[in-house]
Amino acid sequence: MEAKKVAVYAATGCRACENAILDISFQVNSLDRFARFEFWPYLLGSRLEDLEKPGDIDVTFFTGAISTECDEEAARRLREKSKILVAFGACAAFGGLPGLVNLQQAKKAPEGCEDGTPELPGLRRRVATLHQIVPVDYFVPGCSPPQNYTWTIMQSLVCQSGAAARMSFAASRLPRRIARSVLSGVLPPSGSVFAGEKAVCASCGRMKQEKLFASLNRIHRIEPDPLRCLLEQGLLCQGLATREGCGGLCTGAGLPCRGCFGKAQDIYDAGAKMVSAVSSTFDTTEAAEMQKIAEAFVDLAGTFYRYTAPAQCALLQTPESKRPADEDFEAAGGACNG
Amino acid sequence: MNPFEPRIITFLCNWCSYVAADAAGVSRLSQKTNTRAVRVFCSGMVDPNYVIKAFAQGADGVLVAGCHPGDCHYIAGNIKALRRSFLLRKLLEELGVDEKRFRLEWIAASEPHKYAKVVNEMSEQIRALGPFSPGCVRD
Repeated sequence: MEAKKVAVYAATGCRACENAILDISFQVNSLDRFARFEFWPYLLGSRLEDLEKPGDIDVTFFTGAISTECDEEAARRLREKSKILVAFGACAAFGGLPGLVNLQQAKKAPEGCEDGTPELPGLRRRVATLHQIVPVDYFVPGCSPPQNYTWTIMQSLVCQSGAAARMSFAASRLPRRIARSVLSGVLPPSGSVFAGEKAVCASCGRMKQEKLFASLNRIHRIEPDPLRCLLEQGLLCQGLATREGCGGLCTGAGLPCRGCFGKAQDIYDAGAKMVSAVSSTFDTTEAAEMQKIAEAFVDLAGTFYRYTAPAQCALLQTPESKRPADEDFEAAGGACNG
Repeated sequence: MNPFEPRIITFLCNWCSYVAADAAGVSRLSQKTNTRAVRVFCSGMVDPNYVIKAFAQGADGVLVAGCHPGDCHYIAGNIKALRRSFLLRKLLEELGVDEKRFRLEWIAASEPHKYAKVVNEMSEQIRALGPFSPGCVRD
């Protein structure tokens, strides 16, 4: 089998996703048998100019959000050259933590030192996800994507016709629809998300009893009961609005889910879902007490859309197609009305 | 340029507020015509998703109206609506939706005047605020 040509690129992010590609335990040795890394600035010191060399790339793993003009340029070039483009990790797929900046009004880009050196790439007004810039074939969520998924996607995309044992390992970790295509040796449908379909609660082993809490708790203040649902214990666990696939890694260890897999398939807006779920656990029927409990919550938008603000927050989506009366808005000076 | 006419989505509970809205019409009370009524069986079934979706798709205001506490046809549906409203209002505000754009009101079947008053008031307030555009967050 001829080795596939693979590229890895990091836009704005923390590089944990690139480390995740290497963090696949001893399997990293066998990577060499079926993947040839052509372009990887982090490891090989490749430069963007290297992409001008002739020859295609089979699979590109793009990590990080698009927040500078340089990121955008790299995304376009890599899309042009690659047969398969994968948005790898929460930042590339949904905007991730850098995307939180979209919750604020755009500020002027920093200009570097006074004499203008080093020259910094211009900042975009809004942080975008990879898919908002170029068409993306597959999405791998997670911050960073867990080991087993990283290995799985490597096998299903990179060593497509590899050993049967490898394929069945990959298939056992994927939703049925994607697994079926992986097993039959064809690529999964374009746009597939390599993760589960339900919410994290489906794979979380904790017991749900009565859902009531009298006040918000924080993880550093209490020792959570190891068997009971974390939300019931007053912790802001976002498992019920988040896509499963991680196998409940965080909740299993006693940490509330932070939502790095994005919203579960059938949810319209993760923030609204969380508001509904959390409010229903308030243990009172008095308006004043509800108000008191609600006051303890700070930065709801930053919490509920922690990894997904640019892609999945319904109220942050650009309204162009949705709003016919746009000219009215511009005539009013295009000002932001509260 | 056309003068701005706010679009207000109203979720009216079948047993109280919808009847009040109906009565307001029958009694020929003067009302602003900016509302788009959605009849729901209980204010308790108005999921925060509905409210967010209304705003995301171009509504300028959302009114949720139900029976007075204690009068709910389903015993405590309106308390559920009330419980959600605090966090929802907070989330909306963080996402750049002014608090005047979302209202939760108790309007009994016998209060058509209150219905007309709330609708007129809200329509004026939102007219003063101007159109809401999703994707625009305050500092």
